[in-house]
Amino acid sequence: MKVAIIGAGIAGLATAYFLAKEGVKVKVFEQKFLLHGASGRNSGGLTAQFKDEELIKLALRSEELYEKLQSEIGFNFLLRRSGYLKLAKTKEELEEVEFQRRFGLKLKLLHAEEVGEIFPDINTNAFKFASYYPRGGVVFPWAVIWGLAKGCKDLGVEIHDFKKAEVVVENGKVKGVSAGEFHEAEVVVNSAGAWSKEINEKLGIKDERVIVKEEICVTESIRPYLDPYILHVSNGLFLSQSMRGEIVGGIVGKSNGGVGSSFDFLVRYAKLATNLVPKLKGLSILRQWAGVYDEGINGKPVMGFSKVQGLYQLNGFGRNGMSIALACAEKATKEILNAQLR
Amino acid sequence: MRKVVCRCEDLTEEEIVHAIELGYDDIESLKRYTGATTGPCQGKGCLMHVLRILSQKTGKSIDEIGITTQRPPVNPVPLYILASGEEK
Ligand SMILES: Cc1cc2nc3c(=O)[nH]c(=O)nc-3n(C[C@H](O)[C@H](O)[C@H](O)COP(=O)(O)OP(=O)(O)OC[C@H]3O[C@@H](n4cnc5c(N)ncnc54)[C@H](O)[C@@H]3O)c2cc1C
Ligand code: FES
Repeated sequence: MKVAIIGAGIAGLATAYFLAKEGVKVKVFEQKFLLHGASGRNSGGLTAQFKDEELIKLALRSEELYEKLQSEIGFNFLLRRSGYLKLAKTKEELEEVEFQRRFGLKLKLLHAEEVGEIFPDINTNAFKFASYYPRGGVVFPWAVIWGLAKGCKDLGVEIHDFKKAEVVVENGKVKGVSAGEFHEAEVVVNSAGAWSKEINEKLGIKDERVIVKEEICVTESIRPYLDPYILHVSNGLFLSQSMRGEIVGGIVGKSNGGVGSSFDFLVRYAKLATNLVPKLKGLSILRQWAGVYDEGINGKPVMGFSKVQGLYQLNGFGRNGMSIALACAEKATKEILNAQLR
Repeated sequence: MRKVVCRCEDLTEEEIVHAIELGYDDIESLKRYTGATTGPCQGKGCLMHVLRILSQKTGKSIDEIGITTQRPPVNPVPLYILASGEEK
């Protein structure tokens, strides 16, 4: 079987890797360089604190897959399981905790003062409650992509970068993709992230997903200081420290299009960040950028074959791709292999 | 002799060449993989050297390689100064 995969983000590359392990001939097409999409622009926060059973299961399976893939491929993803902290002004905003515990998540519901014991420099007046997931943490997204690409290449997957792909359909059935030249394939995977909507619409497939833009920035590097990944659910602020020592942070995105970076964002971010962790005041911002992601209906990813025969959808990861996409890619691989048997 | 290309990130010409040989052979991938041009000076001291090496190794002209997107702010700004800005 031949499979063509559109998009070299975490979803596309992981699927390519799993399929190649089953002996499938796989080609991956990336319109720009690897890391051009959301997988190269995100904050690497890993959690299973979701409001949906399926998402929780996918996140737990992804936790296992990170460990498995690191050793299988022989590449360090620079993953640190030092906890994921969701902060909130009201208890209602963390109601999900009860539900999550039922699925076996080991969570702690904390008062602001107790968070101060985990991270003394936090301003305990900036929030009231927190949900702490000790198994959560931070991964270096670039290393995940580099590692997956290495694993793919070791298995003979062809990765064509700087090649924008278009799906070629005949009589309602995929024939392959055109990317400069024609590449034949029985199955085409649409894992083009925020761009996958455009691909679908071109094929006449209705797609109601929302495209979200999110801005983010990094400070200069400092010594290891901030252990957990922090997300303030009441105002959208997120903060963590990368393995390179930079403080990576931003504000959860809004669907307003464009990928530019704005000064207005820096001001808003600086106010929120220095209010939550006053000691960050003296740090300088070195770089800022923006990324786009595609949100599935009800916050769930879109997975499965579509009405064009042979076209598999693997998108809609929203702000959770790093936490769940590995397990989704594993599931996609099974479904693609099964369809071929029938 | 150790030929340092990027002082901020302490990178030698050899390390840059090695990364290009591993397949990080476009400027966006190369700077992310090696860290070149991402130090405190944000490439003021090394971008031209990195482009030259990449051009020599790949046979592409500097124009074909393209200059990488400048990410504002150009000079590092401390958070407390930004935080005193006006919110729109
Ligand atoms: C600022 C920010 C912060 C985030 N923080 C987190 C976080 O903390 N935790 C978390 O879990 N998630 C986070 N996310 C979300 C996460 O980054 C995404 O869910 C995930 O990366 C999506 O992966 P993907 O493979 O589906 O898409 P992408 O990584 O976007 O990959 C799609 C690729 O397809 C390529 N492409 C598009 N069209 C074509 C075409 N026609 N031909 C060829 N190639 C094409 C694109 O160039 C792109 O590289 C964040 C996102 C952003 C932007
Ligand atoms: S010399 Fe390379 S970033 Fe400063």
